[in-house]
Amino acid sequence: MKLRNIFFIALIAFITFILLIPTLLGSIGVIPPKDVRDIAKLYLYLTYNQYNRSLWAASPEAVTAIVWDYRGLDTLYETMVFYTAIIAALMLYSEILGYRDIVGGIGLSFIVKRGFSIVLLAIIAVGFSTILHGMLTPGGGFQGGAIVAVAPVIGIIVFSRRIFDYSKLSYKYLVALRSIALIGIVLTPLIPIIVTLGNAFIFQNQVKVLARFSYPSTIIDVPMGGSLTFLNTFEGIAVFTAFMLAFLILLYSEDLSKKPLEGEDIGY
Amino acid sequence: MQAGIGSLEDLAFILLGITSLTSVLFVILAVKSRDLLMAVIYSAVQSTLYSLLLFLLLAPDIVLVYVAVSVGLLPLLTIMLVKKVGRYET
Repeated sequence: MKLRNIFFIALIAFITFILLIPTLLGSIGVIPPKDVRDIAKLYLYLTYNQYNRSLWAASPEAVTAIVWDYRGLDTLYETMVFYTAIIAALMLYSEILGYRDIVGGIGLSFIVKRGFSIVLLAIIAVGFSTILHGMLTPGGGFQGGAIVAVAPVIGIIVFSRRIFDYSKLSYKYLVALRSIALIGIVLTPLIPIIVTLGNAFIFQNQVKVLARFSYPSTIIDVPMGGSLTFLNTFEGIAVFTAFMLAFLILLYSEDLSKKPLEGEDIGY
Repeated sequence: MQAGIGSLEDLAFILLGITSLTSVLFVILAVKSRDLLMAVIYSAVQSTLYSLLLFLLLAPDIVLVYVAVSVGLLPLLTIMLVKKVGRYET
């Protein structure tokens, strides 16, 4: 064994132990108390309290209630950051956006295509159930959108991107779908203000003492969390289309995708 | 009842320790590997162990997005990159 390898292993072991000892001794910071903290108690008490509806979110899942209701503005700006990142990535390839690829691929073998078709349905079903059950179970718009996004990305490789270029999931339709979803995300917090002509709060979900506007709290007999369902659905669609757009651009054949990147070697 | 909760907690912490130490092993393998495709697979295994860590820390929301991104999308992207730059590091 070379001296270099021994040194490498010793270094990794040293770093691991250096991190291990303070973790075991609890000296890298105050260990959080084992009992539930006050602010957590407050959220848990208010989120789905049928007997005190003054500040409730009508959602049994406290995490989604915090993410999209109590702290909704934070998530709105997170969505904005993601939106900007994807737009910036698309801008790099602005010359060839919407082009059909010049190489007509045929995809992988028949067995892979049939096998993946079955898995495709399962992935999409799991993703959409994560999105639509966001107010009942862990997960929500972003998680479900990321799960659904795996399906078309593998699909591009298995079926070749030719199928997507000629389908309703091509560039312009995806951009339109994404814009509709983002408009939905912006409008859902504003609808209370528009409907009541200013007598409501931004991001208002359920009825408050000062503002009487309320999204429906149940759909048939399932708790739906009012605006949370709409926001989760729109966020899911936005994330799914964003990932798919990014991968559609990245998986162009090199003959086409080199064109917009030419000139980098001379400094622009 | 109280003792039961305590031992469950200990079990969770022991599993946390084992999982994080195993993930260090896979990080070493990913760094050392000359075969870049194997390196991608090692790092996917490490990501799977990390998602188990997050699950043991009772953060199912993070697990759902972490699995999809780090085991689904990230290896795909890196495999694509490996295809362009060549499989073996010289």
